[in-house]
Amino acid sequence: MNKIVNSKRPAILLTTALAAMVAVSGCGGGKSAGDVAAGDSGAGNSGSSGEQVTISYYTIDSEDRTFVEKLIPDFEKEHPNIKVKVEKAPYEQFDSKLQTLIAGGNSPDVTSHYGYGGFAEYYNKDMLLDLTDLIQEDGFKPEDYHIPDNLMKIYTVNGHTYGIPVNMYVTLMLYNKDMFDAAGVSYPPSDYEDKSWTFERMVEDAKKMTLVSDDIAKTQYGVDFTWAERDMRPLYFGAEPYSEDTWTNGGVPSETHFDSPEVIAAYQKLFDLVFKDKVSPTSEWSKSVAGQNGDPFVAGKIGMSIGGSWNLAGANDFPFKIGVAAVPWGGNDKVRSTLFVDPLLILKDSKHPKEAFEWIKYLMTTEVQEKSIELSGGNPPVNTEAAEVYYKHFDGIDPGDVKKVYEGAVQYGYESYNHLITNYSQINDMFINELQPVETGHKTLEEVMPVIQKKVTEIIAR
Amino acid sequence: MFVIKSESRRQTFYLYLFISPWLIGFLIFALYPILSSLYYSFTDYDIIHPPKFIGLANYTEMFHNELFWRSVKVTLRYTFISVPVQLLLGLGFALLLHQSLPWRGFFRTAMYFPSMVSGVAMSLLWYWIFNPQIGLFNYMLSWFGIHGPAWLMNPDTALYALIIMSFWTAGSGMILFLAGLQGVPASLIEAANLDGAGRFRIFLNITLPMISPVLLFQLIMGLIDSFQVFTQAFVMTQGGPNYSTWFYVYNLYTSAFKEYRAGYSSALAWVLLIVVMLFTAVIMKLSRRYVHYEGGSRR
Amino acid sequence: MSTVKATSPLGPPSRPRRRLAPVKIASFITLIITTFLMLLPLFFMVSTSLKSKREMLKFPPTFLPESWAWSNYADIFETLQFGTLYKNSLIIAGLSVFGTLLSSALVAYGFARYRGRGNNFWFILLLSTMMLPYPAIMIPQFVLFSKMQWIDTFLPLIVPAFFGSAYNIFLLRQFFSTLPEELFDAGRMDGCGELRMWRTIALPLSAPALATVAIFAFIYSWNDLLTPVLYLSSSDKFTLPVGMASLTSSRFRIPPWHLLMVASVLAMVPIVTLFAIAQKQFVEGIVLTGIK
Repeated sequence: MNKIVNSKRPAILLTTALAAMVAVSGCGGGKSAGDVAAGDSGAGNSGSSGEQVTISYYTIDSEDRTFVEKLIPDFEKEHPNIKVKVEKAPYEQFDSKLQTLIAGGNSPDVTSHYGYGGFAEYYNKDMLLDLTDLIQEDGFKPEDYHIPDNLMKIYTVNGHTYGIPVNMYVTLMLYNKDMFDAAGVSYPPSDYEDKSWTFERMVEDAKKMTLVSDDIAKTQYGVDFTWAERDMRPLYFGAEPYSEDTWTNGGVPSETHFDSPEVIAAYQKLFDLVFKDKVSPTSEWSKSVAGQNGDPFVAGKIGMSIGGSWNLAGANDFPFKIGVAAVPWGGNDKVRSTLFVDPLLILKDSKHPKEAFEWIKYLMTTEVQEKSIELSGGNPPVNTEAAEVYYKHFDGIDPGDVKKVYEGAVQYGYESYNHLITNYSQINDMFINELQPVETGHKTLEEVMPVIQKKVTEIIAR
Repeated sequence: MFVIKSESRRQTFYLYLFISPWLIGFLIFALYPILSSLYYSFTDYDIIHPPKFIGLANYTEMFHNELFWRSVKVTLRYTFISVPVQLLLGLGFALLLHQSLPWRGFFRTAMYFPSMVSGVAMSLLWYWIFNPQIGLFNYMLSWFGIHGPAWLMNPDTALYALIIMSFWTAGSGMILFLAGLQGVPASLIEAANLDGAGRFRIFLNITLPMISPVLLFQLIMGLIDSFQVFTQAFVMTQGGPNYSTWFYVYNLYTSAFKEYRAGYSSALAWVLLIVVMLFTAVIMKLSRRYVHYEGGSRR
Repeated sequence: MSTVKATSPLGPPSRPRRRLAPVKIASFITLIITTFLMLLPLFFMVSTSLKSKREMLKFPPTFLPESWAWSNYADIFETLQFGTLYKNSLIIAGLSVFGTLLSSALVAYGFARYRGRGNNFWFILLLSTMMLPYPAIMIPQFVLFSKMQWIDTFLPLIVPAFFGSAYNIFLLRQFFSTLPEELFDAGRMDGCGELRMWRTIALPLSAPALATVAIFAFIYSWNDLLTPVLYLSSSDKFTLPVGMASLTSSRFRIPPWHLLMVASVLAMVPIVTLFAIAQKQFVEGIVLTGIK
């Protein structure tokens, strides 16, 4: 087995650099560039042609991720010298197993940030391979795979590319048509350019659907606003919690503004939904109805739910009719949707980066991206051509609406902080715990936010 | 003189002969991981890069760390309530089921049942039992006119909900005590009975001393286990709400795998080891006077 | 003092009948109530396992299934490779129990019966191995097993059991310590070797304790999730808990709780069976044979 780990890294860099110089950079993208057979350069002295190479792809052990196993036979047929092994772990153990594998010298080749932490964490810990040279050598062009430029940019830091976007979730509104019909309210628009669709109108609509009763079976709420992670929510109202240099600074924002009046006012608007307008459920109620990580919308108790587009995936099972709508305008002219773009990454300890890249390219082809939608049960592709298939995937939802909502979300989108900021899982844990007394009405934002500001600063500085 | 010496040699020889499987296993499987973690505890180690020696910095850091102290408090509170109550419940059930009663086998199986169910199913069930709106627990409290709290969702009650949960696994303690009770000779009890000793006296003077080794075992293991409580916090509460179930080992786990600080996390592990060791030593020392071993070899 | 022959308590302590009745009735009632509480999980599991996917999402949840979805029990074999998972778990747990019983009984006997030099030292070391939390040794242990080329085999899950488990050694040591010295003196006079005394005196007299160890070791191995997640990578080697975790692992899907409960109910079958057999050891008491 390959046991020499560290000593080999310089060799990989050297050989790839050499190869990059030699390779004629015009061989065009598209399918396997044929030169894969020469691929084993990473393994140093081992022969070059026809050598069998096994790469491992590390992912979450759940149906919507492990479907890739079904794609492997075709890939191996096209690339007879590459074998792909899928390594997997349950979500809760994803990070600990990945770290253990790396520490044990069994690093996977390809993975994504499917655990608690995001891209910035991996980037900051220096776990990722810089793909820039590979891309150049290969002649990989994002256009050939219909990957929008702005998405490629997310994982390009200071001109170096570290990840190829594969799936894109956006923030959208799901609404319960049955509840709208019962309350006689007209459906919300899917068009982001519809100027009448504002946060205030959403609250008005929500009021008409909210019914708080002693009988728990009858209680229902108009809106559940779980826009992005807690720390990001002020952005929706136009207040910036983190300074803009987050990205150029390697995932470490130089300033945070969680105790600023604008940010506090933004949070206040959200808590007003629960405590003043009383159109949104408390977190206690939500958990009582839907369980620990569940969503009360699924139980049919919520009129409008703003959340990640993964909520759509279960749509075909909901026992009521649903529609999708735009996220209303809330005061920020540029940002109305959080984007959650998952990249495919090659880990630094990969012994076969070239072959790993072949696998990534294969997963990005229009054909495979289209197939993946069905196999995964509705994972949204980054490939804009395959996206057309995605829009049609959901029973009873107008594909036109899905398309409009997606395109609007991209136009008014902002990549989720959880992918951009370092030590994010700690920030998120801290937010959940520190905001809890506010969510139950035991403390005010004015008391809590300065503490949060102090702790965020500490965590980021770590 | 010679006889005694050879007797002690004989004892030593057989001691090592019998414990050799564990000794060998210890050297092969445990020694390296244990020493590594001790070494890591003196380093700055993020798992990805090689460890860097930093002396005692990890150890001194924890004393200024707010979450460390929080986790100590939470864990101690859990331990001091849950361990004694579990012991008492286990003993109580065992005594009840040591009598000849109809359906005894069924009762025993039923009592042990909750200890058989695997993690996720159990946590789902408990989420439902502690549900403030429709949960069974608050429903039963309402019979007594009590309006129950939000349990797992309330920082003041979440830890107690987990403590109550732990009582459900008293069945393990029960079967240990049952096994211990089998060793109490019936003849002793009959003799005492004839002397006119009451039920409680017999329990106190005969049964309890006879099962004291099992009691000691359970006390020490209860302590070791509850200082390491993790799964409940990991699966059900994620240390919340508002850090109210931020257990020691939960803190240790987050340090290692969420914060990428395996060095600091190892230091936490060694502090725990030393503290638990001290507790165990004190209990062992105190127990010398109370625990009754029949065998001649220790006394 | 107290050198009473460990005669078998032929049945539990018996007392005059008329004084006992009220105590027994009270015990019986207490037991009925606690049993009800203890069996709630079972009721909840079985009831949920028979609900349809739609009904599972209902709020408030139904007490009993509206329509009994027996087909869930067939579906689990399609959703997971349930047969394979079950078989793997049985192999691993079965061998672990065997290894644990054999090795722990030997080692515990050594600690309990021989005063030899170093007894205390090694015993304290044994206890201390339980005091380091698993996350602290997870990585170096993985490095070790990966150097041994044991990754993606059952070996890391089985072999260590054959070298004794600290918990069970401690447990059995406590039981062996309670055996009266006279029994062994008698055995020694009959010319029994030490290993033979272990087998013919200590083991039969500790049947309840050994049964306990068997149950504990089985459940521990059967429900273990962390180790197989770490050491196994091929799906056809996965164990039941790993398969069950995959049901609830997607952050983006509604977990099929009903199927999880089906799996949980089926996973209980071997444990309940084993327990029902083993608990008989607690009823029959100890029968001394082969010793004067």
